[in-house]
Amino acid sequence: DEIGLIPCPEARYNRSPIVLVENKLGVESWCVKFLLPYVHNKLLLYRQRKQWLNKDELIDITCTLLLLNPDFTTAWNVRKELILSGTLNPLKDLHLGKLALTKFPKSPETWIHRRWVLQQLIQENSLPSLATKGNLGAAPVERIHRLVQEEMNVCSEAAGRYPSNYNAWSHRIWVLQHLAKLTVKVLLDELSSTKYWVSMHVSDHSGFHYRQFLLNSLIRRTVTDNNTLVQNQMVNEQNPSLQKGEESAGTEAACAEEQSVDLPRRLDEEMELCTELIDNYPGHETLWCHSDETLNNSHHSPAASHMAQAMDVDGLNEFSSKQGYTQETKRLKRAPVQDSLGPEMEYRFVDKVLSTCRDVDQARFATAYRKWLVTFLGQ
Amino acid sequence: MHVGGEVDVRSAYCAASVASLTNVMTPTLFAGTAEWIARCQNWEGGIGGVPGMEAHGGYTFCGVAALVILKQEHLLNLRSLLHWVTGRQMRFEGGFQGRCNKLVDGCYSFWQAGLLPLLHRALHARGDPALSMAHWMFDQLALQEYILLCCQCPAGGLLDKPGKSRDFYHTCYCLSGLAIAQHFGSGDLHNEVVLGIPENCLQATHPVYNIAPEKVARAVMHFLQYPVPSLDPA
Repeated sequence: DEIGLIPCPEARYNRSPIVLVENKLGVESWCVKFLLPYVHNKLLLYRQRKQWLNKDELIDITCTLLLLNPDFTTAWNVRKELILSGTLNPLKDLHLGKLALTKFPKSPETWIHRRWVLQQLIQENSLPSLATKGNLGAAPVERIHRLVQEEMNVCSEAAGRYPSNYNAWSHRIWVLQHLAKLTVKVLLDELSSTKYWVSMHVSDHSGFHYRQFLLNSLIRRTVTDNNTLVQNQMVNEQNPSLQKGEESAGTEAACAEEQSVDLPRRLDEEMELCTELIDNYPGHETLWCHSDETLNNSHHSPAASHMAQAMDVDGLNEFSSKQGYTQETKRLKRAPVQDSLGPEMEYRFVDKVLSTCRDVDQARFATAYRKWLVTFLGQ
Repeated sequence: MHVGGEVDVRSAYCAASVASLTNVMTPTLFAGTAEWIARCQNWEGGIGGVPGMEAHGGYTFCGVAALVILKQEHLLNLRSLLHWVTGRQMRFEGGFQGRCNKLVDGCYSFWQAGLLPLLHRALHARGDPALSMAHWMFDQLALQEYILLCCQCPAGGLLDKPGKSRDFYHTCYCLSGLAIAQHFGSGDLHNEVVLGIPENCLQATHPVYNIAPEKVARAVMHFLQYPVPSLDPA
């Protein structure tokens, strides 16, 4: 489940450089300068059609190459061909990639190939005739769910191996967007499962950015759902004969209610998390950034307002079609919200930090934050 | 970036850069591109690799430069972008970081600092009265200090930060950043700000293409002689 290089500059004994201990694979460093050029050369000769290799040899060679250097695109591409011709099980590449990432957690080519493989798997999933193949035991939905969970794990591991691992977190976002389809359930699940992680990695800007992404997606979700609800209401008003049964309308309203009630609470919880971390770990710019943005969201979130549903449909449409989440857009397009206690608490918090902190950076961030509170919240 | 490869904002810049220099821009070639790039700008003010991603110096430069080429910079929130990039200059080191809460790196001397000439131009075009006529909106001397004092390899070449080894990529972008920091504006408004002896002064670089401005002019003039290729088969 893990690979690594064992620093061993000389072959002292006449024995294999491969070491396998408790399911962890090690390669003694002296052999790499022989092994890598050898397999590399073999693959290139194959690609140049100067030397034939059969499928099994190809699988072995590319596997070796990629564990030594996973950014070798050609090797991944050979495996793509093998997958497309049906000779190689795509799940094997997910496993190979996972292994490579234990040593090379940033490897761009590994993540890119992984997305290609996942795309192949989703396509297979959507073709019902193929869904009964031997290696696909469970129902498609269950399968996707398992894939998503596994990807979350792989990303989490890689993020832990390298600080602010841009590629790992991008991949995580991509998976949510393309495999999990940004459902409310998965967004909420991810919020709770990453809470501990970010608390242990308070300078990891990528981790906190991920939480902003989750919260923003939830906000967007809520707006779209409210939009649908309002549209339905309008349609119902115009055409009483088309009105859905009371039960289903009631359920819809309940769902929207649930989701719109959740949001302010989530944002408040996020502010609490920020405050706690800022207190415990002075001087981390990421935490203050995150705090800024969360407060901005909770101050302007349409879901926080009961007036959200009364917003005219055009206004909502305009908002949800504008993908850019700039602060100006938010300020101009949202309807006024009910006053939250947020800003007052924030002032108290900042003043407390300023009077008690000894860390120079912390003081600087707190001062900047206070300025921002005054300017942007106008209180 | 290549067939079957990853999709991100860098390819938009590569395409826009090449197409504009070689005069192959057709109306359909960049249809929707500017809007897509604008979606890559996020709540931080910077631009990520794809929509939804964390703001990152390299991607931000590519996005903004591409939009400048496409003449669509106004699709961005320039104010939050300015706020983000100026926040990336490190007050102790003088160099720039690629993302919030990360370490300084010599190559961002170009990717980040290089945004300020682009922003200056865009804001000037909007008639912003507060713009300086002599300096970019970052500490030009501090950046030069970082590059000259911390990023040079004694054996030649430049690098990320002390302790790292030299490579061509860092050599290129440290020098490009140095050129940006030394030269404000052009023509009548040209203002040189050189740290240390006058011999430290480099030739100016074009803030969009990062090659000498004369070369940009020559390339454009040359390719304008040829008609824009048509996509219809002959």
